[in-house]
This record gives sequence, structure tokens and C-alpha cells, in this order.
Amino acid sequence: MLDIDNLHARIDGQDILKGITLRIRAGEVHAIMGPNGSGKSTLSKLLAGHPDYVVTQGSVRFGGEDLLALDPEARAARGVFLGFQYPVEIPGVSNMVFLKAALNAQRKARGEKELEAADFIAWVRHRVKQMKMDPAMLSRGVNEGFSGGEKKRNEILQMLVLEPKLMVLDETDSGLDIDALKVVADGINLMRSPERAVLLVTHYQRLLDHVQPDFVHVLAGGRIVKSGGPDLARELEEKGYGWLQQAA
Amino acid sequence: MGTLDHFRAAFEALPEAARTAARRAALDAFLAEGLPSTALEDWRYTDLAPLAALPPDALGPDASASTDDAPSTFVDGLDALNRAFAAGGLDRTIDANTRLDAPLRPTARAHQRHRLHLARGSEATLILNTSGDAPFQTVFADITLDAGARLHLIRLNDAGSDAHRITRLRLGIARDANIDMVCVDLGGRLSRHELHVDLAEPGAGVTLNGLYAPTGNGHVDNHIWIEHRAPHCTSRLAFRGIARDKARAVFDGLVRVHPHAQKTDSEQRVANLILSPTAEINAKPELEIHADDVKCTHGATFGQLDEQALFYLRTRGVPEALARTLLTCTFAHDVLQHIRPEDVRARVTQRLLRQMPGGDEMRALQMEGLRMDAQS
Repeated sequence: MLDIDNLHARIDGQDILKGITLRIRAGEVHAIMGPNGSGKSTLSKLLAGHPDYVVTQGSVRFGGEDLLALDPEARAARGVFLGFQYPVEIPGVSNMVFLKAALNAQRKARGEKELEAADFIAWVRHRVKQMKMDPAMLSRGVNEGFSGGEKKRNEILQMLVLEPKLMVLDETDSGLDIDALKVVADGINLMRSPERAVLLVTHYQRLLDHVQPDFVHVLAGGRIVKSGGPDLARELEEKGYGWLQQAA
Repeated sequence: MGTLDHFRAAFEALPEAARTAARRAALDAFLAEGLPSTALEDWRYTDLAPLAALPPDALGPDASASTDDAPSTFVDGLDALNRAFAAGGLDRTIDANTRLDAPLRPTARAHQRHRLHLARGSEATLILNTSGDAPFQTVFADITLDAGARLHLIRLNDAGSDAHRITRLRLGIARDANIDMVCVDLGGRLSRHELHVDLAEPGAGVTLNGLYAPTGNGHVDNHIWIEHRAPHCTSRLAFRGIARDKARAVFDGLVRVHPHAQKTDSEQRVANLILSPTAEINAKPELEIHADDVKCTHGATFGQLDEQALFYLRTRGVPEALARTLLTCTFAHDVLQHIRPEDVRARVTQRLLRQMPGGDEMRALQMEGLRMDAQS
């Protein structure tokens, strides 16, 4: 599904990614772990099409297509979703209108029919319930006055409504209490299927207790320095990142 | 500057009953004074020369017979011009301790001169709308509030691209009385709006929310003076500007705290969004303080749309153009939400959307959003 080959990228003249190669197949859950400043967020934003990052070498293919040639909105329509580390507040645009705009735009781009209002509302309310959120939030501004935890929950809600193929979740677990973490993890698990893939970007192993990854990679200094199974995450939790950074 | 003879010609063409001595005296005063020169500090960015170039039939002095023929004195030429061209307007006192439920909406004459007096403890809503077809319009109003009165004031300007507008409102606010006002400027070729606020007695307050969003070659100028003349008065001003195309906007706000106006509490914030490299905004909030125990802030910002928010919307699949429109609406919403009558708020929002790229799509979304909110 996703083929990242020898990816190099920079921002403001500074090299952040220095040769990342990663293949994610449909049905898989990958976790990328690593210390702060290792390039985790850069990789996430770059996959979603953030305009500030410049790819200097390498390629990213999604479903065989050159992902880097596409606008962020085109990537979304093809099924790439980025859960933000710091979701943005958009006061004045209600969550309902926002979700409607997003889903309709994606459907339109894919040549599908827009949903009828009633069907759309039923669909969104179903997802809101699954995320154990108050339906009243739908008429509030996007993330307006939300706590950190509510914002992260809202990211997963958007993901459930939009049903992407590749879910890149950038530190979605940070700032969550245990209850919220479980709700968020349940949301992610709900989306696991043989047709979809998940890329969890995280600093901690905590989330991986609830969302079992198939592969764990350690990112340090802009490169993947080690890959392994779920055990690697536990090893990192015990030993920290120091030993790997030295190896890198 | 061209000759102003056509102003006289337009006046002389009025029926005799309209050409009263007082109006004629006002016309003479205007012609003697002329239009304000851009050499004046208050007129630095706004040149009224286009008024001199208007065709005579665009001037539209009021043809009604005047009832009030008392001679007047004039603050300046524009005041005299309004006196000469307006044949009256609202002239009303709201009785003490009464509340008018229906908003006052003066009839849409080209030139209007209003007087509104809210007696002690009364409450009313006034909507001044300069959105009509008149190519040239002047609206002057003298509004006074006695102790404890409240006025909700809305000034709207979404006139067409050929419209020229001059408004001047004087707000006199007595003890513990309060005015909340929303000003919206979305259209027009050339507009100058003056607002003089006199916080005359302790406890008087004013809240001003404004949006100016000229497009095309439009020019909108808001000049505001807030005089804190007594202790314990409050003023809140929050204006937002959006400029696109080759539009120009001017904002000039002066809060003056007079000696003895201790415990003044004043805030003046102006935020601007410049959406095109050929658009221009000159915004200057100013403070002049002659008392020593006051709390006053003021500031202006200029910027583009929030790139993070734009990226966020795009990662959800919203095309860039629509995302920009959505964020621009959001910026404007901050002001428009203060418009209380729902029908007015809806109409202004629709009009704003109409002038934006992708606005139709946004409008459909918004309408649907309203329906969905009602259902959810």
C-alpha cells in the first residue's frame, strides 16, 4: 500500500529525514517510535503533504501512485489520513459542517455521490457514539475550546467518519488520560481491517498495549535504526532510546 | 479637485417646497467649505474627489418638502451637505423605562439626518442600512442616551460597486447607559464612516464590533473617536478587516482619556487579513491619555490566513480554495456573531459569502449546516 524508498527531506534548509525506507502492506499496523527531534513528525506531515517540507531524494508511492506529486486534498481523497499531534482550532466552523465539507469533497474527488443530509447525520452520530462523545459537540466550532484530550478524540472521530485507507497518527496518544487513551485505541482498532493500514507515530509504548502493532521501527537522526516486532516497543520502554542512538 | 457646481444644480432642480431657506443656507455653507482635502490628517488616506466627478443625477438630494426649517450651524462642509440634501429622517424619543421590541429601521432615502433620544432606562435597536441603490448617500445621526438607557445599533453597508457613502454618527452616552454596536462594510466604491462616541458620565459604556471587507476597487474608511470624559467608563472596540483584489481599507481609532476620567477601562483591537498583494489596509488604533489611573490597551495586527489551519482542512480533503473561504468566513464570523437580529445576521453572512471565491459551495454547506444543527 505504502512504499517509502530512501526518503530524504528538509525544512528551512535543514535535513531532517536522511534516507527512510519503509513498506506498509494493507492490513498491517506499524509503529514508529523514537526520541524527540528524530524526524517522526516530519515523516507524518510529509506523508500528508505539508507544503513546508522539501523532498530532496527518494520516493513515496501509495497504491502504486506517486504520492509526493499530489496536493494534500488529493491525498486525502485517495485515503491518506493524518491525525495531528496538535489539532487546529477553527472557531466559527461547526464540527458538523467541517465533517460534511470534508466527506463531500472527498467523495466528489473520487467521483462518488454526496450523501443525503439525513444519512450523513445518522452516520456521524453513530461514530460520535462509538467515540463516547457528547453529540452537542457537533454544533460547536472545530476543536474550539476543546481540551487536549478532546481534540485527540475528535481526530479519531474524523477518521471514523472519513474511513481512510492509510491512517497516520502522529502522537495521538500524548496528553491522554487512561480512559481517553482506551477510547482512542478502540477507535483505531475499529478501523483495522485487511484493506486498511495504520502508521502509529509515538513516543511511548503505552498506546501499543491497546493497539497491537505488527511491526515496530525506531527512528533516530532521520533514519530507521532498528525494526522488529511488538517486543521491541517493550524493550524501548525499559531501556530508553540511548543505546540505539549510540548504535546509529 | 473638480467643481462642485453640479451639487447646486441638483439642488436647484428640486421642487420649490423642498428648497427651503435652511437647506439653501446649508448648501451655500457646503460650497463655501468644499470637500475635505487629503492634506488634513483625518483625510490622509481618503480622497473624496470622486464625489466631484459624480454625474449630477447621481447626487439625489431629497425632494420631499422639509418640515424642520430651523437654521443650523455646521461642524464642517460634509455636515452642511447632509443638512442641505436630507429632508429629515428619524426624529424620535423613546420614553423612559420602555423597551421597543421591533428594531427602528429608517426608510431608505438617499440622504438621511436622524435624531434619536433614549430617555432614562429605555431600550431600543436601530438599524442603519446604506445598502440601497443610491449612487451617493449621506447618513448623519445624533443619538443621545440618558442614564441607564441601552441601544443596540447596527450599521450595514453592502451597497453595489458604484456606491459612494458618507456616514457620521454621534453617540452621547450618559451615566450607566450603554451602546453596543456592530458595523459591517462589505461593498461600495468609496465609503467614509465616522463615529464619535462621547462617554460623558460615570459608568457609561460602549462596545463596538466591526468588519470591513471591501472588494474590487472599493475603498472603506472607518474613523472612530471615543472620548472618555468621565471616570469609570468602559469602551471595547474590536474591528476586523479583510482586503482582497485592489481594495483599500482605512481604520483610524482614537481613544482619548480626558483628565479626571480615572478608572477608565478601554480596549481597542484591530485584526486585518490581507488576501491579495494589491490590496492595502491602513489601520491605526491610537490612545491619548490624560489621567493616571486607567487600564487601556490597543493594538493592530496584519496577516494572512493561518497556514496550519489551511493545511489541516486540506488533509481532510477540503480543496484549497474552499478551505481559504472557510477560514475567511471564520475570521469574519468573530464580528458577525454579534449581530443580534437573526435575519440581519443571515443576510450579511450570505452577502459576504457571495463575494468570495467558492462562496456558493460554502453557502450551500452553511445552509445545510444550519439544518443539520437543527436536526442534531
